[in-house]
Amino acid sequence: MRFPLVFSVLLAASLHAGTTVAAPTPAPENAQVYFIWPHDGTVINGGKFWVRMGLRNMGVAPKGTDVKNTGHHHLLIDTDPPPMTEPIPNDRNHLHFGAGETEARVELPPGTHTLQLLLGDKDHIPFDPPVMSKKITVTVK
Amino acid sequence: MRSLFPTAVALAALLAGAPAASTDAPANAYCYIGWPSDGAVLPAGKPFRVWFGLRNMGVAPKGVAVKNTGHHHLLVDADLPPAGQEIPSDRNHLHFGAGETETMLELPPGKHTLQLVMGDDKHIVHSPPVVSRKITITVK
Repeated sequence: MRFPLVFSVLLAASLHAGTTVAAPTPAPENAQVYFIWPHDGTVINGGKFWVRMGLRNMGVAPKGTDVKNTGHHHLLIDTDPPPMTEPIPNDRNHLHFGAGETEARVELPPGTHTLQLLLGDKDHIPFDPPVMSKKITVTVK
Repeated sequence: MRSLFPTAVALAALLAGAPAASTDAPANAYCYIGWPSDGAVLPAGKPFRVWFGLRNMGVAPKGVAVKNTGHHHLLVDADLPPAGQEIPSDRNHLHFGAGETETMLELPPGKHTLQLVMGDDKHIVHSPPVVSRKITITVK
């Protein structure tokens, strides 16, 4: 009797671990991320500019920091929002600010570009509800 | 050798009681008030937003010790607190220990000064201090 009991407990534990999907981190309903600069439609000469990332009703924390109602900024460049249940990709279209930065120096080639901010939790996963800015368009001349 | 040991313990205890060394900040860290501007005249009876600007450094909530991070403190009508000490927490020294990067403020009519200073995980000013210019605004 002893063996099957231990076995079934282990089996249940492994099944449980295997199927559990971490619940998304909740964000305050009134949390809002937005661009302080640039604005939608801004024309940038030269292509180098500071992006100033604004956040209301929530705080900034570096990646890996487990503090309620905090997260870190991600800047999406020329891309649509990624899936809201997975870590935000880390590449040249998805810039991570895991050191708690609130501004970023960005350089873009001439043309029209879209920018969007998306807050990620300690594991770079978007919050529930997602804390995401409007997608803005800037033109580099 | 034996008689030295208690002395060393006493010395260590003394050192532990001394103020903690300041947390280092990058030499190029730059803190500024993004809004309002120096000299701004703001309507009385209406809260206004203050934007906290920070470059070459990151924001972390209080109690979080991550290199090159800190949290904002807004000094209202106050001078800079002494280096190496905890920033006071009162109506002239507002703490943003939840990692906030902006706030709403309402001040009585008159001239007021605003200044930002970063504090480390224990609210102690960094070395070198990361501090904004002190600006003056008028509420009327």
